[in-house]
Amino acid sequence: MAKARAIVKRLKAVKNIRKITRTMELIATARFKKAMDRATEAAAYTKKIAEIVADLSNANLAFTHPLLVSHPVQNNAVLLVLTSNRGLCGGYNSSTLRQALSRLKELKQAYSVSVECSGRRGLAFLKYQQIDVDQQFTNFEDKPSYAEVERIADRYIEAYCAGKIDRLDIAYMRFESASRQSAVVETLLPIGSLSGASGSQSGNTDYEFLPSAGEILEEIVPAAFKARFFKCFLDAAVSEQIARRVAMKGATENAGDMIKSLSMQYNRARQSQITSELSEIIGGAAALDG
Amino acid sequence: MGSPLQLVVITPETTLLDEPVSSVSFPLFDGQIGILPGRTPLVGRLGYGEMKVVSVSGERKYFIDGGFSQVSGGVLTLLTSRCIEASAIDQSAAELELRDATSRHAASDSEIDSRMTDQDRARRKLAVARR
Repeated sequence: MAKARAIVKRLKAVKNIRKITRTMELIATARFKKAMDRATEAAAYTKKIAEIVADLSNANLAFTHPLLVSHPVQNNAVLLVLTSNRGLCGGYNSSTLRQALSRLKELKQAYSVSVECSGRRGLAFLKYQQIDVDQQFTNFEDKPSYAEVERIADRYIEAYCAGKIDRLDIAYMRFESASRQSAVVETLLPIGSLSGASGSQSGNTDYEFLPSAGEILEEIVPAAFKARFFKCFLDAAVSEQIARRVAMKGATENAGDMIKSLSMQYNRARQSQITSELSEIIGGAAALDG
Repeated sequence: MGSPLQLVVITPETTLLDEPVSSVSFPLFDGQIGILPGRTPLVGRLGYGEMKVVSVSGERKYFIDGGFSQVSGGVLTLLTSRCIEASAIDQSAAELELRDATSRHAASDSEIDSRMTDQDRARRKLAVARR
């Protein structure tokens, strides 16, 4: 009897857990769709910036901007790690952090590195590893707003132009497709090349540049950097939701399997209990007859 | 009128406007510019201030904050970090911005420059909101 009771209790607990993981899966799916829409809409901006850059380079302009220049003396590097605030999203945080740690080791040989981290999970991990975090952000959930991201980007731009930092690396989960995300570390500053693949446009239009091509250049380099920086945040948000959805789907399925095997165990226990009770009764009756 | 002018306003977060208009005027880095249908191709750096859109449904006003404009093939694209409709501007927040910018301590040349820019931006934002 005691065993059957215990199994029933456990069965109830597993059923409740399945309810929770199932709900979390649904929420993650909905959030993923929203985050995905935002990322697609933001892509329009990045695309247009690349187009203008292509237009500018067609005008035979040499790109010179402090953000494009690599400093002659390399001393200070910044590593920004993007993780999530909440757990229960499978290997999302651990794979990003693993990448970040190996880059950190590399960087430490040549630079004095300052680590910055977004997301409570990453902060907790870095604290455990006894790595000092210079700046921490916990305000980015599934919808990072441009205004907030821009503030961080502005700080980096200022520090880089003033020569306070010589390199900026960012570790995050890059979104490649709905079924493929990979943890990467990218070097955002100095900006290697402005456009990934320029000249995709036919772009033989003769543009009038107002006030002048140089003035536009002065603004487009930081804008391109900010767009790229923002994209990292958006990618991280989308990837987090996908990772959570996949993890919760696995958990729900697993709970389903567990319920099956537990109810089988319960039925067996009940059956054997009934059998033993019956045999007791029959035994008792036989004793009385005799 | 020949071919109509298509106005597309893109912010880093979303595509805000995508509609045919009859004329648009907005601030460039060094002064106001007006665009009518049939404008020759142009790439410009935006300033901050009031954007006036005239379309069939009437005239609307927005506040835009820096970025780029591109005219090519009857499409005017504005890339800006912020674009707010005049009625949606929070006046008290804008006033606070102006007060902050005015009272900020600035010692070096670059700090003074950035203070002036912030003041100017806040004033223009207020002006758009009040009109």
